[in-house]
Amino acid sequence: MRILAYFKVTPDYEALRESEWSAAAGRVPSSGGGEGTSRGPSADGGAGPGRGEHAGPADGVDTRYVRRILDCFDESALEIALRLSDALVGRGRAAGLGALSIGAPGAEPHLKTLLALGFERAARVHTEAALDFAPAATAALIAAYAGRIDRSDLLVLGARSSPGGGGTVPFRVAEQLGWPCLTQVTEVEPLADGRLRVTLMGDDGLQRLTARTPCVLAVGNAVVSHLRVPTLTDRLAVRDRQPDVLEPADLGVDLADVLRREGPSLAALEGIDRHREGVLIAGDTPRAKAQALFDARLKSLLEEL
Amino acid sequence: MPLSREAIVEGLRRIVEPGDVVTDEQILVESSVDNFRKLQNIFNVHTMPVPAAVVMARSTEKVVELLRFADEHGVNVIPRTGATATEGGLESAVADSVIIDGSAMNEIVSIDAYNMQATCQCGVPLQVLEDRVRELGLTTGHSPQSKPVAHMGGLVATRSIGQFSTLYGGIEDMVVGLEAVFPGGQVTRIKNVPRRAAGPDIRHVVIGNEGALCFITEVTVKLFPYFPENNTFLGWTLKDMATGFAVLRDVMVNGYKPSVARVYDPGDAGLHFSHFAAEDDCVLLFMAEGAAGIAKATAEGIQAIVDKHPECTQVPSEYIETWFNDLCWDASKITAEDERIRQTRNVNRTTEISADWSSINDIYQAARARIIAEIPDITMMGGHSSHSYINGTNMYFNYFFNVVDVGPEEETSKYYLPIIGIICEETLKRGGSIVHHHGMGKARAPWVKDEYGSSYYVLETLKHAFDPNGIMNKGTIIPL
Repeated sequence: MRILAYFKVTPDYEALRESEWSAAAGRVPSSGGGEGTSRGPSADGGAGPGRGEHAGPADGVDTRYVRRILDCFDESALEIALRLSDALVGRGRAAGLGALSIGAPGAEPHLKTLLALGFERAARVHTEAALDFAPAATAALIAAYAGRIDRSDLLVLGARSSPGGGGTVPFRVAEQLGWPCLTQVTEVEPLADGRLRVTLMGDDGLQRLTARTPCVLAVGNAVVSHLRVPTLTDRLAVRDRQPDVLEPADLGVDLADVLRREGPSLAALEGIDRHREGVLIAGDTPRAKAQALFDARLKSLLEEL
Repeated sequence: MPLSREAIVEGLRRIVEPGDVVTDEQILVESSVDNFRKLQNIFNVHTMPVPAAVVMARSTEKVVELLRFADEHGVNVIPRTGATATEGGLESAVADSVIIDGSAMNEIVSIDAYNMQATCQCGVPLQVLEDRVRELGLTTGHSPQSKPVAHMGGLVATRSIGQFSTLYGGIEDMVVGLEAVFPGGQVTRIKNVPRRAAGPDIRHVVIGNEGALCFITEVTVKLFPYFPENNTFLGWTLKDMATGFAVLRDVMVNGYKPSVARVYDPGDAGLHFSHFAAEDDCVLLFMAEGAAGIAKATAEGIQAIVDKHPECTQVPSEYIETWFNDLCWDASKITAEDERIRQTRNVNRTTEISADWSSINDIYQAARARIIAEIPDITMMGGHSSHSYINGTNMYFNYFFNVVDVGPEEETSKYYLPIIGIICEETLKRGGSIVHHHGMGKARAPWVKDEYGSSYYVLETLKHAFDPNGIMNKGTIIPL
């Protein structure tokens, strides 16, 4: 089975200061479809490999100075792909594992980590800036790579990604490839007949389906949320291997054209107010405080029950 | 004849309110360890003797009674407040220990903005004190990564140091006076004065005692004016640690006092700075703070010094400022880290040492090389220097390993202790100190005689004099 896992490298939005969100509220993103895709490095851009990957202050939230992390759903997808590969190999079957990312060179350290973890193939489709709000362009590149270059049997990726979280990319890729798409995947196991047992988390509980490849698996809130870590010895073994770097044109994708036809455009980004209301319960002893909590809050809830 | 567990609990209940004697099994089991055995905590696999009780002390008087009881009956006592220790200092090394928990003694007694000092009970979280004095435009100047969760008593007991130490000093430079209770119930108050020359400075008998001599009930620390608006950040990438140490030395020797002065090796830099530093880059960074003129002169002086090193490439200060603003650990980060470890069995540990400028790079290189060569399953071996002095600096080894083929209970014996052993050996060989700021705990106690050399006589005499019955935190600083 030829497995391809797609992942995105994203700014660590948790590390952004609240003041940056406030400052961003007064900025207007540049107009046109696919914001974040046509931006070059800003004139006052930072130094180093991170330059120009994400928005500068003129374009919205300034994420240039925060570190880059694996998008959380994609991290689950990568580990699930590895576990599937391990299980296939454990049953004496071939499992060619590949990884794909799109964007600036910020993904390279992650691709090298994946090579150290046993991924056979690692590729980055180069774009000058992140395709944060361009799901059609993202899907076009993934589908073209999976279908024409990698000739994968199975695509595993996160159900949605930061910061947009629109969740349409897996469906768009599946549509372009003509493959079925299973969503909210939490677990995948190989079956003896070459099919997969896929666990999905639905509104009413877990569903277990049997799936034939090729298909797209969109990973949701899986219990597996962290990627394993390679040892220094593993890294040393792949020290001289470099990920493949392709241009959109290499995939037969006219990125500028796809971006022009991208759908809704970004109007503004706004931080989430994480402040929570709280009441300090007074009392001389823990017992008195517990009683006060019971009287004021819990008693009425119990009565309602 | 030692008391039974039941008799210990009964005796404690006669001293404090019965509700203040905690005997819940899960709490006792969790209280048998600190973060030294964090993998065991995460997987709820415990191997240390279960304490007889955790006792909440609510006043100095109660601490007096509790220590008298323990001393009279030979009950091992483990003092604690925020319970954030990392070196096994809070482990119950012997059966039927009693943990005296001072976290309920959490009153800020006074904030004296004229004499620039604040007095608080041992259980005041540093974050609470810092937030209060910030309202007055002041700061404690103390900012360890554990600031959101650590308490004042524990910080003093372990000779804590903060991220701004190069300007404000370690906790030993901040404590002007304190109150402590010794075994047998002797209360000692050391008054708050700017300086004294009336014999030895006995604050240092208490500061750093790690609960092995006494229980700290109250501390008075210095306050400083707070000028966050003047904070100035500077950062560079460079290719080797030797240059980084040399720059730090130049800055210190020339008399500059940046609050933050650090150099990260490539492995450690990769954890924080991979968005601007290449895979083989070290990162050198500074923060200048204080009154406007001081901050400006400090930043300019440092800039001039680093400019003499063309091998250093300056990066925009926003990278350093953004890193700085996300530095401290809080409860949510600790929970997230525990979950990461649970899933990956990839454990992060740290060991900090200090040495003079001549030795620090050799210690770093030798320990790092040996650990990579001798310890299996290492996934990252790096570190940084983060606290510098006129005569030397520290090295904060930061390392990760996968726990393979053993249970959580064997993580320390297979990986952590052998790594600590290598770091201690390489440090002692070159005349450094095996502990810079986490405390000896029980983890590094086996090396105490090598650490002290002939001065071990003083330490041993202190222990015998103040804790003749050996009830204070057995196994901490001095091994069993």
